[in-house]
Amino acid sequence: MDDLALERYFDDSIANDSSCPLEEELAHQAAPQQVPSPSPPQLPETSGPGGKVRDVLDFSFLPDELNPQDDRSSKTAAAAESQAAALDVSHDSGIVQDSSAANLQQDVLSLGLGRGASPFCPMTPMTPMTPMTPVTEKSGIIPQLHEEQSRLAARKYARVVQKLGFPARFLDFKVQNMVASCDVCFPIRLEGLVLTHQQFSSYEPELFPGLIYRMVKPRIVLLIFVSGKVVLTGAKERAEIYEAFENIYPILKGFRKQ
Amino acid sequence: QASFSSGEGLTLPRVTCPNHPDAILVEDYRAGDMICPECGLVVGTGSWYRIDSNVKGTHPSTFLLQGTGAASFDEFGNSKYQNRRTMSSSDRAMLHAFKEISNMADRINLPRNIVDRTNNLFKQVYEQKSLKGRANDAIASACLYIACRQEGVPRTFKEICAVSRISKKEIGRCFKLILKALETSVDLITTGDFMSRFCSNLGLPKQVQMAATFIARKAVELDLVPGRSPISVAAAAIYMASQASAEKKTQKEIGDIAGVADVTIRQSYRLIYPRAAELFPPDFKFDTPVDKLPQL
Repeated sequence: MDDLALERYFDDSIANDSSCPLEEELAHQAAPQQVPSPSPPQLPETSGPGGKVRDVLDFSFLPDELNPQDDRSSKTAAAAESQAAALDVSHDSGIVQDSSAANLQQDVLSLGLGRGASPFCPMTPMTPMTPMTPVTEKSGIIPQLHEEQSRLAARKYARVVQKLGFPARFLDFKVQNMVASCDVCFPIRLEGLVLTHQQFSSYEPELFPGLIYRMVKPRIVLLIFVSGKVVLTGAKERAEIYEAFENIYPILKGFRKQ
Repeated sequence: QASFSSGEGLTLPRVTCPNHPDAILVEDYRAGDMICPECGLVVGTGSWYRIDSNVKGTHPSTFLLQGTGAASFDEFGNSKYQNRRTMSSSDRAMLHAFKEISNMADRINLPRNIVDRTNNLFKQVYEQKSLKGRANDAIASACLYIACRQEGVPRTFKEICAVSRISKKEIGRCFKLILKALETSVDLITTGDFMSRFCSNLGLPKQVQMAATFIARKAVELDLVPGRSPISVAAAAIYMASQASAEKKTQKEIGDIAGVADVTIRQSYRLIYPRAAELFPPDFKFDTPVDKLPQL
């Protein structure tokens, strides 16, 4: 896995073209200002996901000053980002689905907010950010993108803090938690599941409508619902999520409602 | 299971079954109710179980009395000896908790066996010390909830909340922690567990209660209400049964008794309404026919 090439690809895609209308705005502002593509030397990645990054970062594609032209993009970006932040269960990264930046754009525009404000924190100017809500797999984006996006978002946050005047450095980025949601597409008999897997399951309809399954082997907590939707959380690696789902799927098939 | 209170030479309680005024009420110690043997109506007074309880021998106050004989006072009438030895300094918190448990149980008329079970659970949890940081009242409330469940007569979290100062959230948290600490588990709640209590609190006759039990069980079997809490389904079933009988109750009344919002009852009722005809027991006497049932 060539992380360096990945970073390069990612930054290029942001700077030049992109499918997301949000990023078009970014590219728009980036083009007239400086060199659009930040070159690799700024983003040294040694190897592996926990590699250290030098603190000299080039965010030239980030507009330094907020001018009236930024309004629309900053509002929408801020809205998308805060929406994503609100949806995010995790600390440093999250795989969040079902939140389209496009919908938010309409909402935010219709609110008619002032310059730089977002609907979630009025009067707070926010620089446009990469949306933390990813596009689906169907669009052909290569995997591992969500982790990369979260890294980029964290770097942008560090940049913002840096610009505020604090001596900020971006060190030791580590993904602490990953959340995934999926659908097995059949209804599930939770009562049966709690009877047979008593030591792992906790199902209290008075407290929470879903069954809380604490898997031991990859230490993952799964929230299993009657509709067949499953939420997996507590993973440090993507592979753990996949493994947990591979483990739970045959069990759930056994408790399918006929 | 039941004991006849009249056999102990006591006067009959003032409450009687309305339909059978001279029937001797049978005491069901499990749920703390009095039941008429002729028609099965629950006429709960709740205070009779105390006669069976053998509290006297172990009451903590027997240890702490100050001496009252003539020799224990000096010339001015002040007590001579300081008999304030703390009987159990390390377990004073536990005794306080037992008192609290007893108070809580008394408020909802729980029989002695549930209180004893609660005390045992609390003792085990307390000695284990794994939940030491949590408020004792929270642990006590959760123990009470677990004891009711284990005895087969579960109380809803809201009912326990009503007699405790702890929030439902905290009781729920402690409940899960205690199950983990004691490595026990409890059975899943069913709709039938609550029928007798809710129906008698609403003053519904036995027929309606039996119909509601049948409706709720059938609705769950036919999977008409997937993912709904059993309490909500029970409340909706009671609503349907009462609306079909002569004793009609509003959703608000049922919601008050069951601790469910009336919109929740409405939602569950909407799910069972389409197949109402199949849900009623075959021998049910309709006061309002099925097609005239309210359609919310």
